[in-house]
Amino acid sequence: MLLQIDFKSGTPVYLQLVDQIRHAAASGGLRTGEPLPSIRPLAEELRVNRNTVAKAYAELESQGVIETIPGKGCFLKAVGSPLTKSARNDLVVQEIDRAIVAAHHLQIGDADLISLVKKRLEAFEKKHKATND
Amino acid sequence: MKTENPVIEIQNLVRRYGKHDAVDGLSLTVQPGRCYGFFGRNGAGKTTTIKCLLNLLRPDSGSVRVFGLDPRKDEVAIKSRIAYVPDVVAFYPWMTVADTLEYYASFRTNWNRDIEADLLKRFQLDAAKKTTSLSKGQRTQLALIGAICPEPELLVLDEPTSGLDPIVRREFIETVIGAYQSGDPGKRTVFVSTHLISEFEGLIDEFTIVENGKNLLTMEADAARDRFKKIRARLPQETKLNLSAALSVKQSGRDVEILANGNSEQLLAELKAHKPEELKIEALTLEEIFVASDVLKKATT
Repeated sequence: MLLQIDFKSGTPVYLQLVDQIRHAAASGGLRTGEPLPSIRPLAEELRVNRNTVAKAYAELESQGVIETIPGKGCFLKAVGSPLTKSARNDLVVQEIDRAIVAAHHLQIGDADLISLVKKRLEAFEKKHKATND
Repeated sequence: MKTENPVIEIQNLVRRYGKHDAVDGLSLTVQPGRCYGFFGRNGAGKTTTIKCLLNLLRPDSGSVRVFGLDPRKDEVAIKSRIAYVPDVVAFYPWMTVADTLEYYASFRTNWNRDIEADLLKRFQLDAAKKTTSLSKGQRTQLALIGAICPEPELLVLDEPTSGLDPIVRREFIETVIGAYQSGDPGKRTVFVSTHLISEFEGLIDEFTIVENGKNLLTMEADAARDRFKKIRARLPQETKLNLSAALSVKQSGRDVEILANGNSEQLLAELKAHKPEELKIEALTLEEIFVASDVLKKATT
């Protein structure tokens, strides 16, 4: 898994890390039980503050994406969120709203948006298969 | 619980050289564990401020506190907890690298030999070499080792990477992140003054832009990147735009570039009314924010 920071995106740096790790987990770039890079080497490599990486990992842990095993590091957890179904739905709705807003600003119609979503779902599916083979 | 003192607290600091006010009413606060950027043009008063922190200069008025202590009265107590890397480093010419570090260590109650050995190896510094035979980059590396081995609670860096090649600069920053920040995060504060902002961008939590000895802008880095945005648009035809809410507007034919100060949504909406062919929005990096500080000044006054 390779991570990258873009200071021009306007998204806080720790959230960029959270998003990318979640993305890697969803697309099979990172598998259940696989260790995440340790904080120090990752911070050095990205040249970001260690606190930023620590904050990202703490956020991922509170979201139930990873778990910390003391003395061993951080690992991707099996999918199984501690949140209730409706809480999980709410989180996804927020993300969908963001995509809808972006589509509106870029003048992409509803039908096109839905077909794009389907295409992306297929793309993730394919990636997942490829990494599991 | 006892509330923790800020590591640095400067209030209305004034320091004059003759009639010239180098620092003119500067205030800022650095909390423990932060990496604080101190940006300003040449002559803005950065080094003067840092020298007041270290009791190398005395303030004409205002107050300076480091760990809640007064540098004029508690110089030793403060200096035992901090380390400083200036822009130009000097060593005793008759000493070797090892002698120099030994000499530094003799002033310190704590000196981490493991870090010393690690960093000498990493920088490929020959401990037997005389300091006079070191290159500029190696001299800075030696100064950095000397600053990190005592594991100070506050690391003050004054233009540490100017004049160094990109690889040495990169290593310098990685060392600050890796070797220095490896301790208890509450006891690892960095105060860095620099022009090479983009290199320190990922490290900086909070920053102050100083101009003419005054505080122009203090912000959290993430908040600043969220607030200042650059919007670029290409309009279908040349249009006279009235975007008074923008910090600045540059227009060349059908291309427009505007800076938004927390009002990018509103400005985007105004631009969209002109049905642009292309519309892009991106955050300003800290360096771009610094470069735009002339415009910012208008916005803050």
